Amino acid sequence: MTSPTVIHSVGLPAPRADAIGKVTGGATYTADLRLPGTVWGKVLRSPYPHARIAGIDTSAARQVPGVHAVLTGDDLPPNTRFGRRIVDVPVLAQGIVRFIGEPVAAVAADDEDIAQRALDLIEVEYEELPAIFDALEAIEPGATLLHPDVMNYTGLPAPLERPSNVVTRTVWGTGDVDQGFRQAEWTFDYTFTIPTVHQAYIEPHSCLVRIDEAGRVQVWASNKAPYNLRQQVAACIGLPLERIRINPVTIGGDFGGKGSPMFIPLAYFLAKATARTVRIVLAYAEELTSANPRHPCVAQVRVGANRDGTIVAYQARLVFNSGAYAGFKPAGFLPGAQHGGGAYHVPHCKVEALGVYTNRVPCGHMRGPGEPQSIFAFESAVDRVARDLGLPPLEVRRKNLLRDGETNSLGHRYQDIRAEDTLNAALEAAGWDAPKGKNVGRGVAICERAPGGGETHANVTLHADGSVVLHTSIFEQGSGSYTTLQQVAAEELGLPHDAVRVEVWDTDAVPFDTGVGGSRVTRVATQAGAGAAQQARDLLLQRAAQTLGWPREQLTLAGTRIRRNDTGETHSWADVIAKTGSPVVGGASIKDMGPAPVTGFTAQVAEVEVDPETGAVKLRRIASAHDVGRVVNPMGIRGQIYGGIAQGVGYGMMEELRMDDGRVTTASFADYKIPTMADMPEVRIVLLESESGVGPYHVKGIGENPNAPTAAAIANAVEDAVGVRIDDLPITAEKVYRALRAKRQ
Amino acid sequence: MTTQPKKARVSTTVNGQPVDVLVAPYQSLLEMLREVLGLTGTKEGCNDGNCGACTVSLDGRIVDSCLVLGAEADGKRVDTIEGMARPEGLHPLQQAFLEEAALQCGICTPGFLVAARALLEREPHPSEERIRLWLAGNLCRCTGYDKIVGAVRKAAALDGAGNGRAAG
Ligand code: FES
Ligand code: FES
Repeated sequence: MTSPTVIHSVGLPAPRADAIGKVTGGATYTADLRLPGTVWGKVLRSPYPHARIAGIDTSAARQVPGVHAVLTGDDLPPNTRFGRRIVDVPVLAQGIVRFIGEPVAAVAADDEDIAQRALDLIEVEYEELPAIFDALEAIEPGATLLHPDVMNYTGLPAPLERPSNVVTRTVWGTGDVDQGFRQAEWTFDYTFTIPTVHQAYIEPHSCLVRIDEAGRVQVWASNKAPYNLRQQVAACIGLPLERIRINPVTIGGDFGGKGSPMFIPLAYFLAKATARTVRIVLAYAEELTSANPRHPCVAQVRVGANRDGTIVAYQARLVFNSGAYAGFKPAGFLPGAQHGGGAYHVPHCKVEALGVYTNRVPCGHMRGPGEPQSIFAFESAVDRVARDLGLPPLEVRRKNLLRDGETNSLGHRYQDIRAEDTLNAALEAAGWDAPKGKNVGRGVAICERAPGGGETHANVTLHADGSVVLHTSIFEQGSGSYTTLQQVAAEELGLPHDAVRVEVWDTDAVPFDTGVGGSRVTRVATQAGAGAAQQARDLLLQRAAQTLGWPREQLTLAGTRIRRNDTGETHSWADVIAKTGSPVVGGASIKDMGPAPVTGFTAQVAEVEVDPETGAVKLRRIASAHDVGRVVNPMGIRGQIYGGIAQGVGYGMMEELRMDDGRVTTASFADYKIPTMADMPEVRIVLLESESGVGPYHVKGIGENPNAPTAAAIANAVEDAVGVRIDDLPITAEKVYRALRAKRQ
Repeated sequence: MTTQPKKARVSTTVNGQPVDVLVAPYQSLLEMLREVLGLTGTKEGCNDGNCGACTVSLDGRIVDSCLVLGAEADGKRVDTIEGMARPEGLHPLQQAFLEEAALQCGICTPGFLVAARALLEREPHPSEERIRLWLAGNLCRCTGYDKIVGAVRKAAALDGAGNGRAAG
């Protein structure tokens, strides 16, 4: 008796489930949807950073042929606001504008050009108010209060003692820093400044909203958290959840930026006013000037260390400029900010993060909320401490790196610590010990992140024609979740991964799904996909036992056949289903919310060559080692890593959403430079696999880590190359040139 | 007061098919393709010539279709992603992008494919450096580009990658 070949899918490279549509132009993104009678929505935005609206005259705009509706804040119920947690973002300004780019009025018209012409005819009278752009100014006691009624806002993560521009204050840590600083032989103070950057997905925010014949609100939108979106929109427009349905579409990149209601409530009000389907697609300049970029940060850091390099205490005050509103953060604050020193054993640590209102574009999430900022500060500080103590930075890093049994800088104890292995792998890939030329430097940075928890659902249906369909409640944004789901279901069924077709539910199908983010998909969705497939397999075998009269305990599934182990007979499972009529459906609902027992480390080494005359930094190589548990899709994981590193390179060396008195001056890709193919250095990736992950396939997250330490590794490499330290991102030739000149004098 | 500007008749060939359309004088080729002809495979990113998502081939030359007026396509041949696959299957570049996972969210993919096809038509075996320079006008925020370079190289290694329908 030969046993049938076992087909595996998990761990093998799998081309994307949705690739055919994407390479042929057939994939449907929100802006590609065409519904009859659709009108274009367009938004008039404030030219002032802080002003009172004294009056709006829309009469001329209403006269334009082809205009179906014009709305201002006065047309909406009082306090019509939305928020992912803190509900403070006006759908249209009501009385006050707080940033340049804030929506003030909106038009729905037959086409985009008519809508634009109508917008141009709207007259708004503003009375300017004093504006604050700098978060450090905004937290001063006498500063103008930008949200006098902040105490009454819903969704504040913690109640405020008094009205303040500091809308959130969050503290993490372990031990007692005051005691730590007393114990330490030396203390060092550093300040790091980190600019605003944009997620810069190539697909701008877009949505289509239609109120159907039954009065239900149908939404298609570039949003990766549809169930949260439904709740947020329902709360904002005052309808019960079941009156709103979010429909799946292809999403053209997210990187944390596409999880908010943005202008979807506005599209609803326009749809209501016009009785037409409304489409809003942001112009890219609107994207860069108004759509929730990553927070800038001033990081004030104190490190207590001993002569031998032992870090005794670390204190950071991270001032995050939230911009005009706080409603684009799903927790209200930036949880990743705590992770700066997560890869180290620091006995006394205190990280304090402030979310501060100013009159700038409101900020949101991007690929590790608060982490890249916090990790840049910590990892730059490690090198600075080392150099101030006259020790090699690598030695200081090793001395303090987290080891099994130790608690990290947050007092957290993980299992299976792989920090040192990860560091060593990165050093080896980088050729750390190889001789360096003149003006060439290498720098290291390390971070960790545990996969987040969440809730998701999946069904696996086996059909009489032998086809397998997996239903999921996840709207993926490009990260490869559908392929992962295909693979785990196929693995459980003993089929090749492309035998499983993925279909996405709309939000009517299941009660809730947390949405993509925080690397929770790999952790939670693998459990759902595998669980649904296992249940389908069990139900199928039960049915086969009854239909064929075979003993259930002898039956196993082998690809397209059911096998009776005691006789070696096999039978097609499609035939069993055909004989019995209805398809076999297995389902799984997973709610796995708690902290993961393991974390995933990333270590990166940057190698740069600096031109001492011009300050130009040439990034020669990034070596990136990742502690990943078991890899489900080697193709997918590498894609996440390359892409993350590219964003880290942009963060470190190129990107800054520049502002002048609250006006974004880099409002196009011509000025807001992100890395192109020609900008990318050689990238060497090492995957350290182990059995130490979570869930049935021992997985860890990968979405955030690759982009978080890159900027610090580059800063550390620049100092290694030419002895100057840039504490202010991005690291441009001009800054290096100035620092070199200052050093020579 | 605003009035609707007069539309012009444009006679062109899109993916080998003769097409006659009415296009407003201010409408871009991208708008003509997407809004008038319903060919939404060509994507709009920046709409100002800086991302390459809208890349199409105009008489065998690659252009950012957001920067070209629809009227300029009159009498010319337009080739878009929709015409890239051959009757016998995917174009070797499409196949290579799929196999090499050279795409994630996919919004940049049509532009990369059309631009890469033009490169291989001119230079069937480009060096990596050449690929990186040629495609530097196409932005991708997801992949970090390595796998796109790999896919173009793979397609270049196969015979006939440059002999798509839009030979130029
Ligand atoms: S949409 Fe044409 S170049 Fe970006
Ligand atoms: S795959 Fe998303 S932008 Fe390229």
